[in-house]
Amino acid sequence: MMRSLENELKECARKLLTEKKVDLIIGYSKSPLPLRSTPCFIREEKDVDSLIFDLTCSNNLATYLQKSKCAEHRKPNTDPTVRMENRCKIGIIAKACDARSIVQLILEKQVKKEDITVIGIACTGILDLKKVSDRLNGKEILNYNPQDDEVLFEGKDFKKALKLSDILCDSCKTCLNPDPSVYDSFIGEPVSGAKTEKQEPMTELENLSFGERWEYFEHEISKCIRCYACRNACPLCYCEECVVDRTNPQWFGKSTEFSDTFTFHITRMLDTAGRCVGCGACIRACPTHVDLAPLGIKIEKEIKERFGYTAGLSLDATPPMATFNEDDKEEFIM
Amino acid sequence: MAAFKIKKKRLKELIDSLTKEYRVFIPVESDGVSSFKEVTSDSHLPTINSHNTDRPPKEIFFPQTETLFTYKEGKISPPEQPNTKYRTPNTDKIAIFGASPCDVKSFSLLDRLFGMERNVAKCSGYKDAYWINRRTNALIFTIGCNYPLSTCFCNWLNGGPFTKEGSDLLLTDIGEDFLVEPCSQNGEEFIKTKGLPIQKAAKVDIKRASTVRKEAESTLSEPVDITSLKEGLDTLWDNPVWNEIAYKCLSCAACSYLCPTCYCFDIQDERAGNARGKRIRVWDSCMFSLFTKEASGHNPRPSSKERMRQRIMHKFNYFVENLGDFGCVGCGRCIRSCPVNMDIREVINTIKNVKLTISNEK
Repeated sequence: MMRSLENELKECARKLLTEKKVDLIIGYSKSPLPLRSTPCFIREEKDVDSLIFDLTCSNNLATYLQKSKCAEHRKPNTDPTVRMENRCKIGIIAKACDARSIVQLILEKQVKKEDITVIGIACTGILDLKKVSDRLNGKEILNYNPQDDEVLFEGKDFKKALKLSDILCDSCKTCLNPDPSVYDSFIGEPVSGAKTEKQEPMTELENLSFGERWEYFEHEISKCIRCYACRNACPLCYCEECVVDRTNPQWFGKSTEFSDTFTFHITRMLDTAGRCVGCGACIRACPTHVDLAPLGIKIEKEIKERFGYTAGLSLDATPPMATFNEDDKEEFIM
Repeated sequence: MAAFKIKKKRLKELIDSLTKEYRVFIPVESDGVSSFKEVTSDSHLPTINSHNTDRPPKEIFFPQTETLFTYKEGKISPPEQPNTKYRTPNTDKIAIFGASPCDVKSFSLLDRLFGMERNVAKCSGYKDAYWINRRTNALIFTIGCNYPLSTCFCNWLNGGPFTKEGSDLLLTDIGEDFLVEPCSQNGEEFIKTKGLPIQKAAKVDIKRASTVRKEAESTLSEPVDITSLKEGLDTLWDNPVWNEIAYKCLSCAACSYLCPTCYCFDIQDERAGNARGKRIRVWDSCMFSLFTKEASGHNPRPSSKERMRQRIMHKFNYFVENLGDFGCVGCGRCIRSCPVNMDIREVINTIKNVKLTISNEK
């Protein structure tokens, strides 16, 4: 089934390039590591066959639509017959969460809708490599083989099948909108109707005491090494100069002193409030497994209750932080 | 040199005896990340994975943050000792138990840079008191890698899962025991310590170790020849290949902060109120847009292309030029930790191919 999905994807990408609807396709290709894929940038038809889509396509590709990232690739094709306007037209492969990020980027005027062709793709979830590794006691996996609701992993001296539902990312297991909210073409069958295990996103943070919450923050944030993989993998962290990078005035210390690290993470969470689509790219990018998803989920819930808004679902919506409504709750203002 | 062996069950005794004279660091796993932590009274045994840890032991000698001094109303004082993670930079001797051969090689490489006397052909001429103070008299117990990972490529860089460069003692896992081979004068002397839970190794132990090593070496993929990589890079400064390599890079520092040989740092003053504060030395990364940005606002490395070129050039060209070896030990951490799966082995191959194309054209 995966094969035909990939064939459909390649066909679609090929068509977009031959008909010169796009100059560039951003997608996934195989990586030398068995459980990983890698973003790829395709300009020519002949390279279309390297596109893949499977359980390992974990990056949120919308991050490459940002102006600062991948500037060279966003340059228009130099052949003037290819494109009249001085802009590069991009085709981008989007899982549901990637599509929601693209919607946010369009609403926030970071990209123009007319420059983007969204190739929506049916996604049933992405592997959480930490869960896999924990369940296999850290043994190195050399090969994997998905079979219905199980995945078979093979290493040097073992073979083990794990239940798919045990090794999907939390953000996938609790995904309430598994189909792309916006797309120009759609690859595969919509998943919404399919039988997948769905649950309300956990709001475990709410049930903790203040002391326990602090412990949780301390535990997660003290693992941080300040590499900013989370920020840089996030499609909605696009400030031209991040507040932690300001030098005049310098707001943040550069060490892993807890107060600085903590302030960075909390600032980032607040900055993405009402904009974060909960794709989990930040968590997957982190080399030390810092996981602040419960806080993100809590913020998302708060935004929904207060402003009736969920990020990235519609191009006609007004983001709550970009508008003012007389009825907005303000009981917290003294 | 004579070989010894130690029962795995008795490792704790060995580590306990080390703690009398040394601050001992061992690999420990917490929250799915393995790194080196100091042995404290309540800490447990080392986590021995037969391959390298997620975080390299570099931070033991070169911590992410180093307080150089504190200042208060015009007066400068040395850093307050007990508050920092790696206290007492110049008193206690350090022992590392269970480092991988690649990481131990990285100590030798950084020794050349930070000015330890090690009889090497090339060194920086600079002497770094912080590195030297911690490194002097440090005792390194290396554990060879019975199971190198698929991301390991130490064999491209004159290394291997059991190389001894930089080690004082090399341990090989041979089942119930570790074969222990002293490989430096310090190691020889340590082994003479009275009351160690070790015994002389028998011929059969040495034979078993040799089998284990051969097996481990055979699992590594065929090395790519990089002897002329430095010369190749000399010609590639302006080559468009850097765009091709850099386009997917997100400019985070996962690769360089987890690299055993990356050593770039920044010096910062952290004010704590009026006329008070401290000066710190803190890791920096060439992947950051802020790296080498000048006070005027000019940035000589404005995009990921220039920064990626810097990283590759530094490791495979400048390091060779200045310190006589590649600034990479093939540990594979950058491959494992990259959020977009950049693979430095592919980068090397891409560069080699560009060079080939160019020389063919000529």
